[in-house]
Order: sequence, then structure tokens, then C-alpha cells
Amino acid sequence: MPVSQLATHSLQSRTVHRAILNNGMVVSVVENPAADIIAARLFIRAGGRYEPPEQASISHLWAAVVTKGTDRLSSQEIAERVESVGASLGTDSTADYCLLSIKTVSVDFAEILKLSAEMLRSPSFPDAEVELERRLTLQSIRSMQEQPFAVANNQLRRAIYQHHPYALPSLGTEETVVTLDRAALQHYHQTYFRPDNMVISITGRITLEEAIALVDQGFGDWHSAYANGHPLPLPSQILPELTSRPNRVVTVQETQQAIVMLGYLTNSIQSPDHTALKLLNTYLGNGLSSRLFVELREKRGLAYEVSAFYPTRIDPSHFVVYMGTAPENAAIAQDGLRYEVDRLCTTLLAPDELQATKNKILGQYALGKQTNAQIAQIFGWYETLGLGIDYDDRFQEQVTALTAEELQQVANRYFGEPYISLVGPDVAVELLETAIAG
Amino acid sequence: MIALLETELLTVSESLVRRYELANGLTVIHQQIPATPVVTVDVWVKAGAIAEPESWSGMAHFLEHMIFKGTDRLPPGYFDYVIESQGGMTNAATSHDYAHFFISTAAAHLPETLPYLAELLLNAAIPDDEFDLERDVVLEEIRQSLDDPDALGFQALIESVYQRHPYGRSVLGDAARLLERSPEEMRCFHHAHYQPENITVVVVGDVAWELTLDLIDRHFNLFPSRTDCPQTDIAIEPPIAEIRRQELCLPRLGQARLMMAWMGPGVEELRTAYGLDLLSVLLAGGRTSRLVRELREERQLVQDISSSFSLQRDSSLFTLTAWLDADHLSQVEAVVGDRLTELANTPISPSELARYKRLLSNDYAFSTETSSQLAGLYGYYGTIAQPELAALYPGVIQSFQGDELQQLANQYLSPLRYAMTVLKPC
Repeated sequence: MPVSQLATHSLQSRTVHRAILNNGMVVSVVENPAADIIAARLFIRAGGRYEPPEQASISHLWAAVVTKGTDRLSSQEIAERVESVGASLGTDSTADYCLLSIKTVSVDFAEILKLSAEMLRSPSFPDAEVELERRLTLQSIRSMQEQPFAVANNQLRRAIYQHHPYALPSLGTEETVVTLDRAALQHYHQTYFRPDNMVISITGRITLEEAIALVDQGFGDWHSAYANGHPLPLPSQILPELTSRPNRVVTVQETQQAIVMLGYLTNSIQSPDHTALKLLNTYLGNGLSSRLFVELREKRGLAYEVSAFYPTRIDPSHFVVYMGTAPENAAIAQDGLRYEVDRLCTTLLAPDELQATKNKILGQYALGKQTNAQIAQIFGWYETLGLGIDYDDRFQEQVTALTAEELQQVANRYFGEPYISLVGPDVAVELLETAIAG
Repeated sequence: MIALLETELLTVSESLVRRYELANGLTVIHQQIPATPVVTVDVWVKAGAIAEPESWSGMAHFLEHMIFKGTDRLPPGYFDYVIESQGGMTNAATSHDYAHFFISTAAAHLPETLPYLAELLLNAAIPDDEFDLERDVVLEEIRQSLDDPDALGFQALIESVYQRHPYGRSVLGDAARLLERSPEEMRCFHHAHYQPENITVVVVGDVAWELTLDLIDRHFNLFPSRTDCPQTDIAIEPPIAEIRRQELCLPRLGQARLMMAWMGPGVEELRTAYGLDLLSVLLAGGRTSRLVRELREERQLVQDISSSFSLQRDSSLFTLTAWLDADHLSQVEAVVGDRLTELANTPISPSELARYKRLLSNDYAFSTETSSQLAGLYGYYGTIAQPELAALYPGVIQSFQGDELQQLANQYLSPLRYAMTVLKPC
């Protein structure tokens, strides 16, 4: 086999094979014959955090244009190949990685994987397509103002992250988008899109041997550029240090609802506090029995949507609680959210609360690994973040081991003063300002 | 005792699907999928927005919220806590034809969780104080939808399409009418509609048929006494005979919307409906589809254009939505009209037809991968027609020929008879 390493990881729930091709590309495979479907996710260590500040949005543009031409095929020819076999093929850019996703019935997988390899290896980024997608990106940026949640979330991230790339949505800003062109895309692609900076994760009705052989056919003879006998080093990442300097950001809009968000700068996936933060997020914001849902929606009727999120990130992440509420409730909403986060610093979770939350996070983790695409996503992502396949088990063990005291310590470490983001009509802003001043 | 009134078998995704009707009229659908860690229970009730008397608009959806507020035996929130603290998840949704309630959980927990769901559905207490509190939550849900331009535009569009049939109603209802409703009226609605002949219980996962039937038979047993509840007459919607244009101006809109709708037949003409589904992807289902290719990729008149086909019991709805610069509105409307004329008058090439048949067949395979997807599919067809229809889709899609589709386009997708809603920034 054309691989330099092959290992089999027997996890609690399934077996995951991991191989490294001679060119450095990592392959992970889960055989799952249940349905006549194969899903693959190709991760590239590029994306928002790798973008130069003046080129924010280049990953988004990459994702929009990479499927629109190769050295041999036009945009319509590519689309015809995909759609004529009823496959799904999509690209995406996130804060920590770029992604190409495919899903096919088993018999079509080889052909679509080959096409994916062609797009990743020799995209042509035609000028007309770059121009079209750049214009559409500018329009999407302007359209974000339609969604109060997006406005609130964007201004909160900007406040927390300042000059760090996590400050911006993947669409970037109008100022950065207008500077992008074909040459910039080619340079970005040549820099990051190389086999030793990629992970391919495959799940479905396929054997390990078949999967490795197909990946080898598509990518095996692709090599990263060499200099002096070594692959060219990837650019080093020097990202700004992050310090929490909580403040308040407000956008006045004549909306029906006010959006109130509280945000905290937290930590990276690599931090020992990560699992505790995930559990606190589940406790506060996940599901119909979560603390925020019960206290602020069920008992007080303040909101339809009240929740929390804590994205998993390579660099320090952020922890957010939020709700949409009638403008006259903006100050009460802020107090209620604040009270529940502060409470985590002073009050230990009761044993039954802790156990219920652990069961919930573990149960939902299992429910999130049902389809082939979900399984391919999770193992490819762990590999991309440098956590390894075994993280699937480690995460669950860490959840199980957490104590109420540890959770309280972690809460105290991060949940001081919050950043506050508000979007809503004047009345909401006045009420909130008065409440905070008082 | 269980009376096996009916036994029908169908096969979807390689394992047997059973359907039985209990003596009380309740329909049970079951599929055992070995080696799946998850079992889904999905209960479908023919108690959607079309069952509401007109002045009770929003009642079906509000009741769906109140079901979770407990019974004389289960305090509010207890059910959610039990399901989620065992690692399961639960939720519900309401549309015009139905309300449905589902749990996904580890198979081992089924005997503990299914009885609670039955208890909520059959014995909802609808406590007075919880009614007032939860109405505030629904009013927030309405406010949130009013801040969403696409939701606002779609509601305006279906009101224009369905001027008589209750499919034109907002499922969420409106604030003023909801404030006039009482818990007593809601209990009346509940007792009238949450009756066995209106209910389909679907169980999909690694759980045996005997256990499933035993649980359902024991727990979906004692229904509330039937009450007289104001009935609603469901009017037949006459075909659209002209172009119905309406325009809404919204602040903060980043770009205009052009939303166009055509009415198709309901589930009794399933073949026609599936033909329209095929036409919807052929027109705007991907980069190679006619309208996406021309309007987004080549002429660059739209940010995006997409189609949707929605099958309902009494009538199906075919829509096209474009996101675009307001300056291009009339030009894009004219192009769509020209392409519909062309579709009705020019044969569809075999390769184009084959592509979209395959696309829809694969979409069907991709959307029947998990127990909850399968349960939703059976429950949906069981509620608007017969669950057996769920398995027919790929075969019917494959059987279409170009001339039949051309004829359907001619009959249903007229460039002279449709409803249209335009959203413009102001």
C-alpha cells in the first residue's frame, strides 16, 4: 500500500483506520455498510485564522470559486459531472479550516473523488468567476444587516477579537473583498493547499483498502513543493495576543425584537478547560431542559430563542449567552442572562444537575454521529485540529470525570465582566443603558 | 386486546416496515433497523393550522407548545428533563396539515420514555397560569418571524395564493387573536383533535416489533372524552386565473426578493405532484439547472435563485425565489415567464431528464439515512395520505418521460397565472 503509516483505532463505538500517504496526506476511514452511501470530507489547514488581515474573506472566495474551473474543465462541466450522478459536492471555509465535502451513492464515489482531486490540485480560478463571486460576496455582506442576530454576533466578535482574524465573519469586509483577485487566490491556494496540509476522512460502504487505493489514485502523485530536500515550510502564524477588555457594543435598528448577547473570551480546544466549558455551555444553553431555557423562557416567558454557544477553536474561543426579546424587556433579559452566568461562579452544580448534564452532552454527542457525513466530519476535524482519532474517546472520558468543583473553578477563570452586544430599537438601548448605569 | 385490522408491508432502505391499526383507530408504523444506536418515536397528529376555526388562528401551534407543559401527573418541564438527562432529545413542529412530536434516544430507554410522551399527548393539562406564560413565548416567536424578511415575504405569498383555503394562514397566528384565546378553548381543541383516528405513532430503530406494539397499545389507550369544538369548513381553492402581484417595502433590506408561486394538486394526484417536483429541480435545483445557469451564472441578474416544491394534503405549492437587485425585478420576472413558455413547448432532452431523476432519487436516499429521517417520512405520508406512499417516490420519479413533464408544465406552470410577492428596500 502506498502509505507510510497505518493504524487502527478501536474506539468504544467504532473502528477508525488512519493512514498517512507518502506525500504526507492523512487519510481516515470508517467502514459503514449500513446504507449505500459514501461521504468524504477533505480538510485543508487554511481558513479564517490563516488569512492575512488585508485579505480577510479570501478563504470564502476560494470556496466559492474552486469548484468553478480546473485546467481541463469549465464551471458548467464540473457541475454537470456532479449533478448528472446526483452527487452532492460542496465547499466551505470556517475560522480554522477549509473544507470540500462530497456525498454519493457508493458506485459513483470513485468518479466524484477523482473530480474533487482535480479541483484541489489544479483549479483555474477563471477571472470571470472570481469577479462574479466577489460581487456576490459584497452583496452577502450588505445582506447581513437584514438579520438582527448576525448584526449582534458580528459586533460582539469584533469587540472581543479586535485585530485577531476571529473578529470577522468568513465573508470579510467590503474593504478587504474589493482587493481580492485571481492572483491572490492562486497565491493562497499554492501556499496552503498541499497534501501534507490536508486530511481526507471517508465513511460509508467502502473498505479500507478500496478507500486508500482511491485516495492514492487521486492524490498519491501530488507532492508539496520542495526546497533544499525538504518541503517548503508553511507560513508561520503570528496572531495577536488576546486579552479580555469587556465593553458594550450597540446597533440601533427598528426591529420587533431586541437581541441581547453576553460574551466572554475563553480558551482553545487544546486548553485543559475546554471540556468543562463545553459542559457549562450544555448546562446553560442546550435543549429544552437547559438552565437558560427553563429559567428565562419557561418560567418567565421572556424569549422564544434563548441559548448559549461556545465554538471549538484552535485559538482562544468565546462563550456567548443570548436571547431575542421584546424591546421593553432588554434590560431584564441582560440581567437574567448575567445572573445565570454569574451563578456558575458562586453556586456548585447539584449532583443530579451535573449527572444530567453529562448524560445530555454524551447522548447528544452520540446522536451527532449518525450519518456517514457526520462521522466523516468529526474524525477528519479531530485530525485537522491535531487532536487525533482517540480524542473521540478522550472527550467522553473527560466529560465523565468532571466534578462540580472543577466546573466552578473554570467558570471563575473566564466569567468575569462580559462583553455586551445589543441590537434593537431606541427604547431597548435606553432601558439597557439606564439599568447598567443604575 | 389489539385488533390487527390491517397489515401492510413495504420496504424502504432494505428493512421491513410494518403498519398496523389498533382497535381504537390509531395507526402504528414500525421499522426495526438492527445495529442503530438510536431509536426515534415520532407522533403525528392531524391537528395542524387547517383544523383551526378561523378566529382561533395560531391555536394548533400554541397547543404544540402547551403539550410540553405537563399533565396532572407530570409537572411542566419534567418530560424534557427526563428525555434530555438520559441523553435523548425531543422537539415538535406544527404546519398546516399536522403537528408532530418526536424523541430520539438510545434504544434501551424506549420503555421509559415512550409512556411519558403518550401521557403528555393524551392528558395535556393546559394549566391556566402556564397558558399565559407560554403565550408570551409564542408572541416572541411571532416577533422573531417579523424580523425575518424571507419569512414575511413567504407568508404574504401564500396568503395571495390561498385566498380561501386555510393553507394561506400563518401557522404562528397573530398576536391580537392569540390574546383573545382561553385555556378552555385550547382544551376543547385538544380533546376534539388529539383522538386515536387522527394519530400515527412511528417507531424506527433497533427495537423489536412486539415490544413497540405492546408499549403503544398500553400507553396510547385512554383518550380524553371528545368535545364539540368549533369546526372549520375547508374551502376548495379555485385555480389562480391571473397574475397576482403584491409589493412590500421593508427597512434594512440588503437586496430585493422576487417570490413567485403556482398551485398544484394535492396528494390525491401524487404522480402529478412528483412531476412538478422534478420540474422544480430542472428549473432551479443546481448550477446546471436552467434558471440558475442563465440568471446567476451567465447573465448575472440575480444573487441566487432557488425553487421549492411542497406537497400538502389538499394542494401543492411550487415556488421560485430570487434574491436580486431591485433594478432587475421586471427583467427576471420576464425571463422566468419565457423559460416557462419554453418548457411547455419544447421537448426536454433525455440527458437533462436523466440528470434530475437521478438527483431526486439520490436526494431521497440521502434523506433516509437516520431513524429520525425515516420516521418523519412515514409519519408525514401517514398523516396526509397513506404511509405506503413513502416508498413509491424513487420509482415514480424514474418513470417520467419528457412529454409528460412538458404537458405538466403547460398545465400547471403558466407564465400568465401565478402569484408574486416582491420585497423592496425602503
